[in-house]
Amino acid sequence: MRTSLNNIQAIEDHLFGYNAPGDALVFEARMILSSSLRDDVQQQQNTYAVINQYSRKQLKAEIAAVQQKLTTEPAHQGFMQRIINLFKK
Amino acid sequence: MAEQIPILKSAAERETFFIGLYKKAFPAVARYINRMGGTFDQAQDVFQDALVIYYEKVQASAGNIRVSEKAYLLGIAKHLWSQAYKAGSKNQPLQDTDLPAETEEQLSTHKLMHYLETAGQKCMELLKAYYYDHLPVADVATLFGYTGIRSATVAKYKCLEKVRDKVKQNSLSYADFVE
Repeated sequence: MRTSLNNIQAIEDHLFGYNAPGDALVFEARMILSSSLRDDVQQQQNTYAVINQYSRKQLKAEIAAVQQKLTTEPAHQGFMQRIINLFKK
Repeated sequence: MAEQIPILKSAAERETFFIGLYKKAFPAVARYINRMGGTFDQAQDVFQDALVIYYEKVQASAGNIRVSEKAYLLGIAKHLWSQAYKAGSKNQPLQDTDLPAETEEQLSTHKLMHYLETAGQKCMELLKAYYYDHLPVADVATLFGYTGIRSATVAKYKCLEKVRDKVKQNSLSYADFVE
């Protein structure tokens, strides 16, 4: 892999706690010495949060589609109707 | 009854999984929300959020989870209900980023999400498979048509770099994504 990708992998290993204790210490020392590395680590952490947000949104859309299917498809309509009826009482 | 759940690898497998969970647990959750004075829409919202939480737990456990699905989902739903509705607070489902007045940072977050959902979609789907769905790398390679584990891993880091650069451009703070 090219250097920039190796750096990304090293940051990932640091953030996910994959490093052996010795390597973790070396990485932390590099972070103290390099503000650009600190910045990259911060941005990569933001990136994982963005991936999580994107993924949840996609999953929620899949779940909403399932709910729609259960509401509209004749094979499932009785199931959903029984639940809707609960709220009419 | 405790059930062992295999890792879900595709959208079709997830659909079957969620339909099964609706059939198994939604009636009990709906009865509970009804008893608590909630509406059908609120029951649906709570159940959807409970499914998201349960899915994340199942995938992160790499198939080693053994729980009673119905009891687990009902437990999460009760907790979500008490958090979101019982105290009379506003309905805030997971992932709700639509706030009434948007700051510049929020607009920037929306812009970034929109970009990632359109131009960056292929990369985001790959990253989702790795980091959110927790699929083994061999499965990711098969799913996305890579020749092997190594090329799938390189593709992952390339995508991560691309998205990180985009995040950097948007200068977003971590707090924007923390829920």
